Amino acid sequence: FTAILIILKPMSVLRQADVACRGNQPIPVQYPKERSGLPDSTGSATTMGPTGCPHVHTYKVDNWKQNLRVIYQCFVWSGSAETRKRKAKSCACHMCGSHLSRLHSCLHCVYFACFSKKHIHDHAKSKRHSLAIDLLYGGIYCFGCQDYIYDKDIEQIAKEEQRKAWKMKAGERFLTWEPNKRELELLRHNPKRRRITSNCTIGLRGLINLGNTCFMNCIVQALTHTPLLRDFFLSDRHKCEMQSNSCLVCEMSQLFQEFYSGHRSPHIPFRLLHLVWTHARHLAGYEQQDAHEFLIAALDVLHKHCKDDNGKKANNPNHCNCIIDQIFTGGLQSDVTCQVCLGVSTTIDPFWDISLDLPGSSTPFWPLSPGGDGSALNGETHTSSSGATTLTDCLRRFTRPEHLGSGAKIKCSGCHSYQESTKQLTMKKLPIVACFHLKRFEHSAKLRRKITTYVSFPLELDMTPFMASSKESRMNGQYQQTTDPFNNDNKYSLFAVVNHQGTLESGHYTTFIRQHKDQWFKCDDAIITKATIKDVLDSEGYLLFYHKQFLEYE
Amino acid sequence: MYVDLKMRATINQKLTEMGERERLKELLRAKLTECGWKDQMKAHCKEVIKEKGLEHVTVEDLVVEITPKGRALVPDSVKKELLQRIRMFLAQHAT
Repeated sequence: FTAILIILKPMSVLRQADVACRGNQPIPVQYPKERSGLPDSTGSATTMGPTGCPHVHTYKVDNWKQNLRVIYQCFVWSGSAETRKRKAKSCACHMCGSHLSRLHSCLHCVYFACFSKKHIHDHAKSKRHSLAIDLLYGGIYCFGCQDYIYDKDIEQIAKEEQRKAWKMKAGERFLTWEPNKRELELLRHNPKRRRITSNCTIGLRGLINLGNTCFMNCIVQALTHTPLLRDFFLSDRHKCEMQSNSCLVCEMSQLFQEFYSGHRSPHIPFRLLHLVWTHARHLAGYEQQDAHEFLIAALDVLHKHCKDDNGKKANNPNHCNCIIDQIFTGGLQSDVTCQVCLGVSTTIDPFWDISLDLPGSSTPFWPLSPGGDGSALNGETHTSSSGATTLTDCLRRFTRPEHLGSGAKIKCSGCHSYQESTKQLTMKKLPIVACFHLKRFEHSAKLRRKITTYVSFPLELDMTPFMASSKESRMNGQYQQTTDPFNNDNKYSLFAVVNHQGTLESGHYTTFIRQHKDQWFKCDDAIITKATIKDVLDSEGYLLFYHKQFLEYE
Repeated sequence: MYVDLKMRATINQKLTEMGERERLKELLRAKLTECGWKDQMKAHCKEVIKEKGLEHVTVEDLVVEITPKGRALVPDSVKKELLQRIRMFLAQHAT
C-alpha cells in the first residue's frame, strides 16, 4: 500500500538538510570537490558533509560561538530596542556608506560592507578574511568556496538566535516546515510523489446516488472542498477515542482519503449513509431529504464526535475547540431595545449558518428598514423591488431593526414592566466558513411551495456592514463608514453553491465547487463537469458557502 | 520626487530603530506569498537550477537571474500598500 503524503507547506530548496527530488529518486545536495579551494582532509570524499566548507574550520576557534551569537543578536536579528538602535546606527558600508546593498559583516573583524558593489569582496581579499555574514538573512558566505555555505553548528546557532529575537517581539511568526524523523522515514519508505500543478483536479470525485441521496452528496462535495477541513483531515489530525466503529469523523477522514486518492471512478458512500442513518434518525429512509437539514445534522454529529477526542467533555458547549467549531461556528448578536427607556438587552448565540428570508414568501420582504447600507460596498447599486434581489439585500433585511409590535411586549428590566421593543440581529463573530441558506422551501400552515425568486450573489463578499461593531459605530453617529482598505477580516470568497432543481415534492440537488483560484466544477452525483463562473453566478442558489479570504492568528 | 541618499539613510535608520522595518518585512512577506509571487519565484529558481545544473549553481547565480524578474512581478497593489504604510509611519514620527 502506497501512502501518499501531501506536503502542504513549502520547503526551502537549497538547505543542506533537504532532499532534492529528481524524477522519483531523492538525492542529497552535494558540493563538488573542485570548488573547495583546499584539499579535503579525508582525501576522497566528494560530498561536503554536514560540516560545510573546509574554510570554516579556521573560524571555529576560541570563543567563536559567543562571538557569532553577538553578531546575530546585534546586527542580524535585532530583538531589543537597544540592539535595533545600534544596528540602525552602525550598519552601513565602511567603504561607500550604503545601508541597503546586501550588507554583509566580516566574521573575522569588525567591518561592514555591501555585497552588491563587491566592497566586502575587496575586504576579504585584502585582509584574507574568508567568511562574511549576510545581515539581512543571516547566511554565511565563504570567499574560498565563492558561495553561501551551510555549516551545521552555525545553522544551529542561527536558528536559536532567530527564535530568541522573535520571542521578544509580540505575535506569531511563520516557520518554514522541516520534516521530523518520522516524516523523513515515511518519505523514504513511500517514494511515490504526486505533483499538484495549477491545473490539477485532485480532490474531484463523483458520488453514486444510493436512492434519493443527492441531498447528502451535494453537501459532501461542499465539505470535501472546504480548504481548512481538507487540510485538517489530510494531515491526519483526528485521533479517535470512540470505542465503536461508528465515528462519523473517522468516516469523514476516510472520505477525504478517497477523494484525494486520485481515483477517477465515482465513490460509493454507503458507509457514510449508514452512519448518518444511525446518528440522525430523522434523515433515515429513502425519501428525498433537505440538504440544509443534512448539513446541520452532519455538522452536529461531527461536532459531537470531535469533542470526544479533544479530551474536553461538554462542560460548555459554546467553548468547544474542535475543528468544526473553529471553521463553522460564528456568533450572532441579538439586541432587544426597550422603546421606553432605551435599555438594551444583548445575547450572543452560536450559529453554523444564516437562514435568509426571500421576497415572494408570505412574510413581506420589501421595504427594507433604514439603518446600514451594505450594497454599495459589495459592488451593487441600491435596488428597489423592481431590480433583482441580491444577497446583500437579504443580509440587510436580516440585520434590520424589527419592531416587535404591541402584541409581543418584552419585560424590560429597566422599566420593570412590559414594553414595546425593537430587536436587531448582527454578527458578533464571523466564522471562517459562512454558509448562507436561502429559505426557498415554505412550509407554512396554508401552503407548501418552493420560492424560485432569483437572488444574485457575489463572488466576493464583505460582511463589514453586518457586524455588531459596525452597528455600534453607526449608533455613535459615525455614519460615514471609513472602510479601511487594509482591514481584511470580513472579506469572503465564494467556494461552493448547492442548487435545487425541481419542486418541493420531487427535486434534485447539485453543487458547484471551486478549485484553485478560478476553476469551477459542477457535481451532479456521479457526473462532474467543468463550469464557468457565469454558470455559478447565474444559478438559483440554495446554500452558499463563503470562505474568509484572510486568516489571522488568534 | 528626488530622495537623496542622506534622506534614504535617515528613513532607513528610523525604520530600523523603531522596529518598523521588521514589521514591514513581515507584511511584505505575507503579501507576496498571498498573491502567488513567492511560488512564481520558486518555480523560476527551479528552472535556473535545472539550467545551470544542481552541482554548479551558486546562490549568486540565482540572485542575478531572478532579481530583475522578481522586481518586475511585484503587484502594484502591494507596492502601493507598502508605500502607504511607510508614509503613515513617517507622518506619525516626523521630527
